[in-house]
Amino acid sequence: MNRGPGVSRPRAAARWLAAIRTATGGLRRHKLQAMVIAAVLLIATASATLGFALLAASNAPFRHAFSAQRGADAAVAVNTAHASPAQLAATTRLPGVTAAAGPFATATVTGQADGQPPAQLTLAGRASPGGPVDDVVLSAGHWPSRPGQLVLDGPAGPTGGGGLQLGSTVTATSLPGHPTLTVVGFANSVTSTADGWVTPDEADQLQVSGAPASAQMLYRFTHAGSTAQVRADVAQVTRALPAGAVAGASSWLSAQDAETSNGSIMEPFVVAFALIGLIMAVLIVGNVVSGAVVASYYRIGVLKSLGLTPGQVVVAYLGRVGWPALGGALAGVVAGNLLALPVLSDSAGAYGVGRQFVPWWASLAAPAGMLALTALAAAGPALRAGRLSAVQAIAAGRAPRAGHGYAAHRLVSRLRLPRPAGLGLAAPFARPARTLVSLAAIAFGATAVIFAIGLHSSLSRAEQSQTHAAAAPVIMQGEGGGPKGPQQSPVQQEAAMVAVLRAQPGTAHYVAEYGNQVTVAGLSGAVFATAYGGDASWLGFGLISGHWPSGPGQVAVNTAFLTESGLTIGSPFTVITGTTQTTVRVAAEVFDPSSTPDVLGTAQTLPGVAIGQNLEQYDVGLTPGTSVATYMRAVNQALGSGSAWRAYPPQGGQFYSIASALIGLLALMVAVAAGLGVLNTVLMTTRDRLHDLGIYKALGMRPRQLLVMVVCWVAGPAVLAGLLAAPAAVALNSATVRAMAGTAHTGIPASFLQVFPPSRLALLSLAALVIAAAGALLPASWAARARAAVALRTE
Amino acid sequence: MLRQAMAGDVIRLDAVTKTYQAGAAPALDAVHLSVAAGEVLAVMGPSGSGKSTLLNLVAGLDRPSQGQVTVAGRRIDNLSETALARFRARHVGIIFQFFNLLDDLTVEDNVLLPAQLAGASRRQARARAQELLARMGIERYRDAYPARMSGGQRQRVAIARALVNAPELLLADEPTGALDTATGQEIAGLLRELNHEGQTLVLVTHDQALARRFAARTVQLVDGQLAADSAGVPA
Repeated sequence: MNRGPGVSRPRAAARWLAAIRTATGGLRRHKLQAMVIAAVLLIATASATLGFALLAASNAPFRHAFSAQRGADAAVAVNTAHASPAQLAATTRLPGVTAAAGPFATATVTGQADGQPPAQLTLAGRASPGGPVDDVVLSAGHWPSRPGQLVLDGPAGPTGGGGLQLGSTVTATSLPGHPTLTVVGFANSVTSTADGWVTPDEADQLQVSGAPASAQMLYRFTHAGSTAQVRADVAQVTRALPAGAVAGASSWLSAQDAETSNGSIMEPFVVAFALIGLIMAVLIVGNVVSGAVVASYYRIGVLKSLGLTPGQVVVAYLGRVGWPALGGALAGVVAGNLLALPVLSDSAGAYGVGRQFVPWWASLAAPAGMLALTALAAAGPALRAGRLSAVQAIAAGRAPRAGHGYAAHRLVSRLRLPRPAGLGLAAPFARPARTLVSLAAIAFGATAVIFAIGLHSSLSRAEQSQTHAAAAPVIMQGEGGGPKGPQQSPVQQEAAMVAVLRAQPGTAHYVAEYGNQVTVAGLSGAVFATAYGGDASWLGFGLISGHWPSGPGQVAVNTAFLTESGLTIGSPFTVITGTTQTTVRVAAEVFDPSSTPDVLGTAQTLPGVAIGQNLEQYDVGLTPGTSVATYMRAVNQALGSGSAWRAYPPQGGQFYSIASALIGLLALMVAVAAGLGVLNTVLMTTRDRLHDLGIYKALGMRPRQLLVMVVCWVAGPAVLAGLLAAPAAVALNSATVRAMAGTAHTGIPASFLQVFPPSRLALLSLAALVIAAAGALLPASWAARARAAVALRTE
Repeated sequence: MLRQAMAGDVIRLDAVTKTYQAGAAPALDAVHLSVAAGEVLAVMGPSGSGKSTLLNLVAGLDRPSQGQVTVAGRRIDNLSETALARFRARHVGIIFQFFNLLDDLTVEDNVLLPAQLAGASRRQARARAQELLARMGIERYRDAYPARMSGGQRQRVAIARALVNAPELLLADEPTGALDTATGQEIAGLLRELNHEGQTLVLVTHDQALARRFAARTVQLVDGQLAADSAGVPA
């Protein structure tokens, strides 16, 4: 067939564009719907980007840094009195050992910096940061070149290095003469083989006289992918050395667990929010396009009769969604990257691999995936529009709507409701499909809000259980420097501090806390034991099973202990503290998220642990109504500057702060998306029913009555959505908390999941009504303000 | 000849101008008009002459760009939307060419609606609706839906709905325009009866025959201006 003169390809393209512009009426005429699509895509893409970033953050940076720094598969602590340098060197040639470094002399000292609580530091003597294993990356300053200089593990600056900076001094208070070390650098060891590094000579000098001379050997092995393989490798080294030479070993897998746990613990809830956002985006976009097609039947019919092809119709309606979707998705990637930064920066500095960013593939996959889903959601209605014949489209556009919802109106008219409310409640039945989409959007939004509040409660309980911050808002720590003023022994100072606590109004409880590593018969790795000087049940431990130790010989353990040992509640086991050997029985499994097995008991049960040198702190509980700040000021004042003891707020809980902020933000984003979905639906319905609204106005319906009627359009679906959202949120919270606990190597007390008493759940279900009302209010007020004559002209 | 405004007028328009778009010719241009209580006024004119605009302004469905509109003794051009809605509910009944019934409500619910919106008691509103449906001869369709009724029946429902609050003024925009001749005559008869009972009526129509049979006074609009105001129908 002759195409006729002048019909070239560019002209055909121009005709397509013109046809598409005419078919859709252009984006300018549908600004609000375009904004809704863009906003929903923004939220869903941001959540997805954040989810991908956290997934990547949980593994990739550590592995990257581990490879770049040739991290140690195992750091073996050796007693050099039992092994000669030649014997140690021989271990580097054992089968399966691919690289080794050391021996590096090590010293464990109690370090005290100005204004900081004392901390136990393991310092290694190394002449240089580099080497075949554990190639430490210096991030600031220089490597120690002479005695008295110290490089600390961790990032520099006010947030890293324990608040220390270059030039800060650390006093080794546990050593005679209290030698002082000046911080000359900050460095990062991916497997944290030491807390700091000094010159080899300095390390020798810092060792306590009389204590066994210690050093560390660092190894990389052919096979070290699992705990069992690392254990086997270390066992081979142990066998190659004289008995008693190996004092302990740490695995790179423990370091990986510790470094990546925060990001991975957050994964479950970020993924949950991302999924909610994703489903909502598909629903809302599908609804927008479907509504646009239905509203444009007449226009489509007329344009088809003038020559618009089905293909042009399909492309036109996909294009109507495409541009705002693209804009929203791109903005979402930026938002996702910005959201991910605070979460990722938590772990980025630790690896010495520079700033950690969202991986490029996440910034590509999230928007691409969302756009693909959007295209799929839009394709159905667009294809339906394309398939309609011109006559069908014109007829469908002009014909009155089918008789949906008449029965609902009849029923509601019999109820003694204000007429506008009754009319509004019956209206959703006129368009059941659109109502279902609204209902789903509200239900997802309400689920997200209820879930977020529940998760926040669960995490708050976990935080209180882990940090004891609620039960013991004050901790007393000895600065370790001994008497500064009057000559008092540490025991006398402790007694004076306890006397101050006793005398201080507001003191409800206090208990001494001792901690040290112990050996448990049958467990090859390190076990950490905590002994309390008295009753510690008031600290608020989260009991997963069993009961808090109520008598001598009973201990509580964490989940990692039970997992590693295979023991259960009631099982006996032997604790070896070095000086004593005690048989105890497991009375309780407590919430203590750690991959290291922990044992908790009283000083009476764990006498080898509860000794002066292991005293870590006193936990102090206050009577209700006591101000923590005022109490701490009063106690510190009573202790005076001469005391080695000071009151501090409990530390830790940063993870919970970040997680809570993130949960709040994600829930807000999803709720906003749900509100936008409602807004879009109400807007479409308002446009559909503009003529009816004009009739209502002509008959005397006042603006406020009209507002009530329009808000009631979504009230019914919102009530139903609330009923659906409540159990969904409970189930989601339960699943998410369990998944988070699994990632953190811990079980969870039942109380962490019991955060939705019926009255609270009923109240939270109102979130659905709030979302619906918030979404409907804007179009409702537009409808209320519309002139009756204008509305009536839309025939 | 234009009629002079008097104290008992139900409608009074003073220099009323309505412009929809800046720069465009006004739909109504400085119109002066008054309608006495109990009068039947036919507003005639070609398409686009401003008839419906005039009706909208009198009904309080729209506001003039200039001038004053006073209906039932109350100036309405400066009322808020809420006050206008109250005013419409109490003082004005409107009959539309295409009935403007709400398809998802039964006949009875359509008729009841203005009374319910105006806050009438349920019992009183029902009684009044029953009375009007009986008067219009459609009481057996009380539970029917408008979409299943004939045009004439639907217009009777619309008239019943317009009268449910006993308004002082009944406005009819081409009330027979969508009906066949016989049905149109029936509706015209009904309107005449209402007028005989004292109902003030403004009728917008193209139909000269209807106006002739029915209106005591006719105004002719041309390009938004009042071209004629006379008793009977202009030639």
